[in-house]
Amino acid sequence: MPATDYQGTSSAPFANIGRSIMSLRRDQVHVHSMEGSHDGAGHEVELEAFQKQVADMFQSLLAAAASASANDELLSLSWIRKLLDSFLSCQEEFRVLLYNKSQLLRPPMDRLIADFNERSVKALDVCNAIRDGIEQIRQWEKLLEIVLCALDNKNQRALGEGQFRRAKKALVDLAIGMLDDKDSGQTLANRNRSFGRNKDHHHRSVGHFRSLSWSVSRSWSAARQLQSIGSNLAAPRTNDIVASNGFAVPVYTMGSVLLFVMWTLVAAIPCQDRGLQVHFNIPRHFAWAAPLNTLHERILEESKKRERKNACGLLKEIYQMEKCSRLLSELADSVQFPLTEEKEVEVRQRVKELAQVCETIKEGLDPLERQVREVFHRIVRGRTEGLDSLGRGHNPE
Amino acid sequence: MEKSLDPETSGSFNRKKDDESSTPRPDAHAEELSPELRSSFAQIMEDVDRFVETLSSVTEKSSFPEIPDCVKSLLKIIESLISKYDALTRFGQNQEEDASFFGSMNRVSKLVNNLGEFPSGSSNSSFNRASSVLHRAVCLLDDEFHVLLENSKRSSNPDHKSPMPSKQSSFNHNQELDQSVASQPETVTEDEFPSFTKESIANMNRITKSMIFAGYELECCLIYSAFRGKAFENELDKLGYENISTDDVQKMQWEPLEKEIASWINIVKRCLTNLFPGERKLCHSIFSDYPSIAERLFVDLATALIMRFLNFADAIALTKRSAEKLFKILDVYETLRDMLATINDLPVEDLEAEITIAQRRVGESAVSIFCELENSIRSDNGKTPVAGGAVHPLTRYTMNYLKYACEYKDTLEQVFQLHPRKNISYSNQLKVQEEPKTMEHSESSEFSIQVRMVMDLLDANLAMKSNLYKDPSLRYIFLMNNGRYIVQKLKGSAEIYEILGEAWYRKRSSELRRYHKNYQRETWSKVLQVLNHEGLQVNGKVLKPILKERFKSFNSLFDEIHKTQSAWILSDEQLQSELRVSISSVVIPAYRSFLGRFKQFLAPGRQTEKYVKYQPEDIEGLIEDLFDGNRVSMAKRKN
Repeated sequence: MPATDYQGTSSAPFANIGRSIMSLRRDQVHVHSMEGSHDGAGHEVELEAFQKQVADMFQSLLAAAASASANDELLSLSWIRKLLDSFLSCQEEFRVLLYNKSQLLRPPMDRLIADFNERSVKALDVCNAIRDGIEQIRQWEKLLEIVLCALDNKNQRALGEGQFRRAKKALVDLAIGMLDDKDSGQTLANRNRSFGRNKDHHHRSVGHFRSLSWSVSRSWSAARQLQSIGSNLAAPRTNDIVASNGFAVPVYTMGSVLLFVMWTLVAAIPCQDRGLQVHFNIPRHFAWAAPLNTLHERILEESKKRERKNACGLLKEIYQMEKCSRLLSELADSVQFPLTEEKEVEVRQRVKELAQVCETIKEGLDPLERQVREVFHRIVRGRTEGLDSLGRGHNPE
Repeated sequence: MEKSLDPETSGSFNRKKDDESSTPRPDAHAEELSPELRSSFAQIMEDVDRFVETLSSVTEKSSFPEIPDCVKSLLKIIESLISKYDALTRFGQNQEEDASFFGSMNRVSKLVNNLGEFPSGSSNSSFNRASSVLHRAVCLLDDEFHVLLENSKRSSNPDHKSPMPSKQSSFNHNQELDQSVASQPETVTEDEFPSFTKESIANMNRITKSMIFAGYELECCLIYSAFRGKAFENELDKLGYENISTDDVQKMQWEPLEKEIASWINIVKRCLTNLFPGERKLCHSIFSDYPSIAERLFVDLATALIMRFLNFADAIALTKRSAEKLFKILDVYETLRDMLATINDLPVEDLEAEITIAQRRVGESAVSIFCELENSIRSDNGKTPVAGGAVHPLTRYTMNYLKYACEYKDTLEQVFQLHPRKNISYSNQLKVQEEPKTMEHSESSEFSIQVRMVMDLLDANLAMKSNLYKDPSLRYIFLMNNGRYIVQKLKGSAEIYEILGEAWYRKRSSELRRYHKNYQRETWSKVLQVLNHEGLQVNGKVLKPILKERFKSFNSLFDEIHKTQSAWILSDEQLQSELRVSISSVVIPAYRSFLGRFKQFLAPGRQTEKYVKYQPEDIEGLIEDLFDGNRVSMAKRKN
């Protein structure tokens, strides 16, 4: 059997030699009693290093969310990108950690790995749905561009009634687009008809540009998918840890990281049938449990805030987009023409704010999409490697 | 740069006067232009043009310029036209009015654009009014664009007749004639995606031109992409395309999944060869003055669709590898290859990278599946020999699989070359590397190396299986059967023959001959020994007891052979008859000569009957029973 040919070379090629062993907090790590086990002493250090890496990652995400005192960075585009970066490096470490380990073919690891693989494949659908959500935000951003174009964010041109009407049309389209799927955009869509040309068609808001089920099936639900990723995700039992030489622990850890990252993406980005009812029951002795739980709570709190309750995504920039465009809408409704100088100054101020939001989104969205894609690719790679090497071990005939 | 084009400032206006008769239309209950405005239309346009020209030459923009009367007249004209179109009129029904509309609108665009450069315009009522009128005009076009995009012939009900003349000819004002003449040939291309009438495309072209000229490029593109995205979604719906989530693909049984793959391939191919070119053409016809916008719109749409298709390919590459999936997966691979070739001339690096990644994954999956064949051969080590030395199912399976695989030879060559197998076990690698030296295929492709490796494994496996037979003769029958099967398959497939080469084939054939000889020796040499004339005579006298013994031995040997070997199988008819012929040619002459020489020494009657059990003709008949795999007929014969 080809897979067994590797048994002799099972120590990972990229072991984290550089990591300070002294800094490992053995008392918090579950696997320290595996001395003299099959793969030698080296793997134990690696296992602990991985725990520490995950704990550090959540700590630093938590710090990033809270540090900027004036501006809470939690759920901002840059924070989400940091989250995905962290995920990618964890995933890589995890891969290296398990690379060519003979344990993987034996119970209970074969089962645990199979479970993990199933979870990660489910995460792929979340990635695809999130990509659609990003596309949706991009469409909103295009509507904002129209507003900026109409109301001259370059501050060089005169503003007439026509420009305001143009901006308002885009703002209404945006408001329709930003309504959650469940709400009906009908009333707004009717209001949107700025001019009576009652032909045989309804005005179609371009805000509803592309349905969210562009990539996933129509019945797909992010909420259900998250629950499915999290189902049976439980801390490994002692006998499994012993039988797996401790490797059951990183598998559980990575499963939890995966679930948290996917949950956060769904919380932040619009996608089909969002829902955040996922529970994280992580035993407190894991060093990463505390920061993960704190982040989880904070994001939940965010979702319960009054102004965010019906939001289609908790991404900070979506909220800013919503707020800025609402303020501008109200202002635009209040102006009289020709414009007075004071009003013009006020409008230009609001437009400037909007331009800033727009800029942040424009700059952050493409890299975010690439990252989501990268997460997708990495998960797939991990899975195919599993199919190539492990699959054979499982296949007796 | 594109904005500086003015699509309709000249042209059809000058013809207006010749054509007064085609207006006014009875259904236009909006206010008509006053005769003064009408007659001076050309003059007003000229004045506005001159005014705009002076505006653009002003360098000091601090104080807002004086607005001449011609501007007010222009705004009045266009407002009245807007009201008219707002009511019921459609573009394309009255060329002259359309021309007036677009001509005046484009002048308003220029006005607003130039006046906007004076910052104090914000508080100027003329600027205000002009911008507002321009926005109304754009909204009108926006609505019209929606309607036109929504009503392709494709999406409308099939017997619905388009109220518009099917052919756009901007200077032909006789609509009745136009319609009756041009609508017939049009139906031929009716089903072609995306199915807009020429007239509708021409209208959209004018609309987008004017919207972009008015500075509404963003809206124009947004509407276009929204509707075309929707149109594609409908088209895919019609073709039966459905998104299946990655998760569901993993859970699907192979049979339904196979159908999904086939349908995916069909739809992707249709997109690549039919829908995309149609869409691209449409983009370029509607945005003919803005090729870069057209290309961007098309690329965005195609990219979104292809990314969607790739989700499925990625999901397929993730399914559990198993042998029967190879061929469909290779189909997917080929489709992705076509996809890559199709987008070759588009500026889409990211997309190209994504397709390449998906293609690599599918390719690796194919390689890995093909290599599974080795494992299934290696792990096939049952201890029960096939009855009668017949062709082993493993031989059939392997050879048929290879034969089928070789129909994808070019693709497999490519797949193995681009995505060399990973995790190859070292012993195999070494074996493969040594081979070229001993044999003549030094320029072998990865794939042919792989095929040879499979053949070697099969050989080794068959050799092992042959040892399960205790009877050496049966062992050779088994080897002959399987060897013959392999050679026949080889002869039947030019591709495998080519891969394995003539030398390999010759080697096989000579092995087969060796098995044949070995069989003859194992089974029939004893018989021939019994029929040997030597040792029967001493001093010219035949030793009767020995002779009797010889006859008895022959009878029992032959009976035994007949009994066992009639149950053996040679499934290849030619091989069967070759072997029988060669047995007969050895055994019958020997028996005949033995009989002819020694029969006389037996007393006629009972003694002869007792020892001469068979006439040569009987022997011939009995040899015909061999290798039939038929125990029943043999049993009958015995009684």
